[in-house]
Amino acid sequence: MKKNIALAFAALIVLGTALPTYAYVLLSPRRSWAGGSVTVLVNTAGNKTITDSSKGVANTASAIRAWTNVVSSGTTNQSAVRGDGTPYIMLNSNGKICNGSCLAATLTGYYQTVGGVTTITDADVYTNQRYSFVSTSEADGCSGEFYIEGIMVHEVGHVIGIGHSNVAGATMYPSVSSCNNGPASLEADDDAAKNDLY
Amino acid sequence: MHKGRLYLLVLAVALCAMPLSASQFLDIPFDQMVRGTTSVVRGTIGPVSASWDADHEVIFSYARVDVSDYLAGDGPAVLMLREVGGTVDGYTQQAIGFPELREGEEVVLLLTVWEDSGEYRIHGFHRGKYLVRERNGRTMLRLDRETQGNPREAALSKSAPSDDDVSIDEFRAQVGAIMRGRAAGPMVRE
Repeated sequence: MKKNIALAFAALIVLGTALPTYAYVLLSPRRSWAGGSVTVLVNTAGNKTITDSSKGVANTASAIRAWTNVVSSGTTNQSAVRGDGTPYIMLNSNGKICNGSCLAATLTGYYQTVGGVTTITDADVYTNQRYSFVSTSEADGCSGEFYIEGIMVHEVGHVIGIGHSNVAGATMYPSVSSCNNGPASLEADDDAAKNDLY
Repeated sequence: MHKGRLYLLVLAVALCAMPLSASQFLDIPFDQMVRGTTSVVRGTIGPVSASWDADHEVIFSYARVDVSDYLAGDGPAVLMLREVGGTVDGYTQQAIGFPELREGEEVVLLLTVWEDSGEYRIHGFHRGKYLVRERNGRTMLRLDRETQGNPREAALSKSAPSDDDVSIDEFRAQVGAIMRGRAAGPMVRE
């Protein structure tokens, strides 16, 4: 019996090493931005908990450049226009879609397929107004709030064509708890997804 | 135990341990999810249609649900479900990670009501929709992980056992206990 158990554990180890290292998921249909890069604009209106005085807007614009070589960013006072070809992050609107337990949501669908290659033409990000957000620049730290940087790095992952990962700790993991800014830093799984697409 | 069976068991355990996928959502405990519902139903999703909202900003999908059982709460035998996302005139709008409505699916749904209408919606997004499967004479439920933009489950065998499968009897008992806790006032933890 002991031998069987040992064999079983050995089989588990072999199986474990045979499993794929990465678990990222690309959106379906597989799609990416033309030219391999995109500029995402953060609306400067902020919201009741994230404003420029708390560096929320500036930090968000900076954080989403974690998707190096693919995402550049800036700020704007213009609001998202669906289908206009420019992706926006709206901190002051739930886009009529993000409520309940949704912290932020990316609305996609603007893409076109030519010659078998699907190109993203627009995607916008919306934020639930029900929750309190915080930036890493706020001196009083985090208490029951959600780090805007991590949340928006996750959402911009969707903007560039990445779905949810099953790797706990990865930026593209689908859920997050309060005061966890881990998603602001890409993990190997996230980089693998980005490198697969771009 | 026979060696071959042991290997099969190990394989099954290992496969069950493989995590599956599930937007940026708040982590909410199941008991809290259930307490936030108006009802929990078992039913079959009917034909799905989609249309733009009045401002032509969001596509919503609509489906009739023929309810065969209320696991919690009460309501009509046929209800109308509305969810974000869908296809209109060949254009598809996806809200990544939100639940998808697919005609013909037998499901268990955690429901609430939209604030701007009397239509129902799935509570908790991807965590409020379970697929019903018959296995070895038992009715089992599995969280539907094939959400908008995430095709992962399509690549896996939907009929294969999974560690997050739960029998409908256990699910009903669990939901019932939580709802009784809600009615009594104190929070009931799983």
